[in-house]
Amino acid sequence: MSWFSAARARLLLIFAGRAAQSRMDEELAFHIDMETERLMREEQLPRAEARRRTIATFGGATQHAESLRDGRGLAWLGGMSLDLKLGVRMLVKYPGLTIVGGLAMAFSIWVGAIVFEMVRVAVNPTLPLPGGDRIVKIATWNVAENRAEPRALHDFTVWRASVRSITDLGAYSDVTRNLIVVPGGEARRIKVAEIMASGFRIAPTAPLLGRVLVEADERPDAPPVVLLGYDVWRTRFASDANVIGRSVQIDERFAEVVGVMPEKFAFPIAHEMWVPMRVTATDRLPRSGASVTVFGRLAPGVTLEDAQAELTVIGKRMSAELRETHQHLQPRVRPYTSFWNVTGSDYALMQSFNVFALMLVVLLCSNVALLLFARAATREAEIVVRSALGASRRRIVAQLFAEALVLGGVAAAVGLAAVAVTLRLWGREFFVINQGTVPFWINPGLSLPTILYAILLTVIAAAVAGVIPGLKVTHGIGARLKQGTAGSGLRFGGIWTAVIVAQVAITVAVPAILLIEQRELRRIHAYDGGFATEEYLAVRLEMHSGRGSPDTTRYANALEVLRQRVAAEPGVLGVTLASNLPRLGHPESYIELTGSSGDAAPPASALPRVDIAYVDPTYFNVLESPVGVGRAFNAGDLAEGARVAIVDEGFVDRALSGRNPIGRQLRFTPRPDAPAGEKSSWFEIVGVVKDLGMGAVHERERAAGVYLPALATRGPLNLVVHVRKGSDPLSFAPRLRMIATSVDPTLRLAEPQRLDDVADDVLWIIGLWLRITATLTGIALLLSLAGIYAVLSFAVSRRTREIGVRVALGASRRRVLTAIFRRPLTQVAFGVALGSLLVGALVTLAAGQPDQRLETARDVMPSFQGVALLCAYAVVMLGVCLLACIVPTRRALRVEPTVALRSD
Amino acid sequence: VTIRPQTDALRGSLDLLILKTLSLVPMHGWGISRRIQETSRGILDVNLGSLYPALQRLEKNGLIESDWGTTDNNRRARYYRITIAGRRALGEELESWKRFSSGLGAVLRST
Repeated sequence: MSWFSAARARLLLIFAGRAAQSRMDEELAFHIDMETERLMREEQLPRAEARRRTIATFGGATQHAESLRDGRGLAWLGGMSLDLKLGVRMLVKYPGLTIVGGLAMAFSIWVGAIVFEMVRVAVNPTLPLPGGDRIVKIATWNVAENRAEPRALHDFTVWRASVRSITDLGAYSDVTRNLIVVPGGEARRIKVAEIMASGFRIAPTAPLLGRVLVEADERPDAPPVVLLGYDVWRTRFASDANVIGRSVQIDERFAEVVGVMPEKFAFPIAHEMWVPMRVTATDRLPRSGASVTVFGRLAPGVTLEDAQAELTVIGKRMSAELRETHQHLQPRVRPYTSFWNVTGSDYALMQSFNVFALMLVVLLCSNVALLLFARAATREAEIVVRSALGASRRRIVAQLFAEALVLGGVAAAVGLAAVAVTLRLWGREFFVINQGTVPFWINPGLSLPTILYAILLTVIAAAVAGVIPGLKVTHGIGARLKQGTAGSGLRFGGIWTAVIVAQVAITVAVPAILLIEQRELRRIHAYDGGFATEEYLAVRLEMHSGRGSPDTTRYANALEVLRQRVAAEPGVLGVTLASNLPRLGHPESYIELTGSSGDAAPPASALPRVDIAYVDPTYFNVLESPVGVGRAFNAGDLAEGARVAIVDEGFVDRALSGRNPIGRQLRFTPRPDAPAGEKSSWFEIVGVVKDLGMGAVHERERAAGVYLPALATRGPLNLVVHVRKGSDPLSFAPRLRMIATSVDPTLRLAEPQRLDDVADDVLWIIGLWLRITATLTGIALLLSLAGIYAVLSFAVSRRTREIGVRVALGASRRRVLTAIFRRPLTQVAFGVALGSLLVGALVTLAAGQPDQRLETARDVMPSFQGVALLCAYAVVMLGVCLLACIVPTRRALRVEPTVALRSD
Repeated sequence: VTIRPQTDALRGSLDLLILKTLSLVPMHGWGISRRIQETSRGILDVNLGSLYPALQRLEKNGLIESDWGTTDNNRRARYYRITIAGRRALGEELESWKRFSSGLGAVLRST
């Protein structure tokens, strides 16, 4: 059992360090006593002499203690724990540095970890379902057209009958339906999955109430049922506990509620309601029926490649048997989450975010390195003494690393706590705003990989902030040792000068970015729709009429009835229709123009790009912006073959340089060099209106708008309602829903919004960036100021001896001050100048894309406040620099020259 | 002769001496040093700075174990005792030491 007693002895020694020490002391005391008595007894020595000789033969107690620790085999650990202890002491001793450096590190870790988690979630998501990594989807891929063929119910039936490598095969169809809870009540659009019962085996979740869907529900003769999502149940049914068995209207049909799913259940993607998928005979014909997504679970022991191999064989057989439809179709098996996958260049882009974050970490940590270097330099005497006592360079660097690691550890804890809060508040929201619908598995949070990554960042940060100053401060320590001085040998070299200059420059320049962003925000706020947008309510109207293509005649009729019903409502001043809303993006196209009254058409290279909107003939009157020149659209313009267009003033200015457009012809072309076959037929310009928000809010160019008459048969339109001044348009929204539902229950309304609110999402994102940049700038400023102060004041305090000499030789105070201040002031002034140049470059860059929608050049150039702010930054910089010089210089001047001369 | 742990061979011989001494009777540190000195008729004088680390090392390796006990004149002392593993190691070390010293002797005799 030697290993056991050895392990026991080791454990006892590790855990009982102190006990072992006291045991050793006692043993030694015993030994010395015994030996002393022996010498007294045998050699007749007096006690004192006997004891002295005993101890002399002993070889020194310290050496013995070292051997004892070696015996424990944990010397390095003892050293490290001592270093860490020292690190904690340093945190307390230099609170300013702890706060500033720690904040910088925490911030860099925060940025790094957030970017890492967001990229991880988007690039490499995990499915939060049992055995999520084995869940797959199967797509039928059209090899000839390189796109998926979604009408796959026929193939699905074949797969379900023959595939062995994938179990629980099922399919769902992604549809939107109107849910009407009370007969005659308002309808709400709901994202519904028509799904097979096996979906609830893939995502096995116990329902909150009732039951999930089962196979029996899929029979054509089974009573129609619906399973509610948590949010639908809570908002539309007021969390009614007796909802099971209730009959609700979904579009035109009625279905019985059989269950409610728990919160956050959104399988297959982001669905709120589930109805059974009923496959009809026509659905089973090759390449027909509904668009579906097929999912399943890899059978035990089967890899993705095995499943793909099996499906490839089946696919080849089908291609041979059904040449007409399946010649170019091949099944593909993919991980379930791959539908939202990032690939190729996007992947590289996402990963580059991590690189940028890492660069930020290094940048901020080199700032901290500057601070730690200054601190290490003040401890130079200590370091030299340690070196003289035999500490190796590695040992000293390790100590500085440990100190930085302690700082980094505290910073990492703070940073990760901030990451958790940030991701909970805005993580998913960020994806929602950028992507619209976000799958349920996109759920950024403080995951284990992210925590590990943050720890890695901390170590990198500690290495940058600890090891570099350590190497710098211990460089050539042997030579300094030989000189016998522990001071004045250490100088801030060219690298540190460059760091200081660059830091000052960036500190001056960074606020410029903030100014530019603020200008952007102001510009968007200032972008006027050209009419009283706050009096208008807009809602997008869509219709779903079973599977297949939408019934356009029914849609057009419903729209007409709805428009008349709404117009008859009290408080409604006008109703009109438009394909796109003002101040949001519009479809764009190049155009060609014919000359009129003699002048030539613009050359092909100068083809203007225009924004297109399809509007009802009443549009301009309802917007209270009647056509100024020429005529408005009339009912005749809606007829097939009537090719007329109205343009806005932006068009006149940009495409025609202000010349009269009336009577000119224009046609649309996808590209400037498109062949004639791809160009539209000619349209005659009949009227001009003022600018009515044809450009999207974030665009800089003034839009050139072309209006064409809107036909409801061409695509979904927005209903725009003008309500009486003084009443909130949104208060009309519920009434609008009621009317729409009664007109046609399949008419689906998107979320109604006020026309002055349409840019809110864009503003939110820009506001977010503004906040992020402001935080970044604030921290950069704080850190830079602290760093500059620390380094400069240190550099000046190193010259105490020089000041003493100068004063002793009779130099006047002014001469001393000039000599001392020259170098730091030059550095800072150089940095400020460089920063101003950067600001100039940035502003020029921004001014290079002038905003044509703003009439004066005033807003292009930085405002007076902006310039004043920049000047203030420069003054603050120089002030900090002066302060950093004055405090140590005053101290040095007050010291007696003789004392100063002795100072090292 | 003072034995200092300068080489592995000599350090090994100190271990051997300790193990051999303890194989007869459990003993405290001072006792071990006295016993070695007496048995070697004063030729071998164990440096105390080497003895205790050696004891630590042997204990760590599981060759000996220790406990508090009382001496004849009623003083508290740490007593070391050889373990079974220690006895086995002692046997092997003795063998190799015998081979080593006979080899050494043979070489020295030949000159």
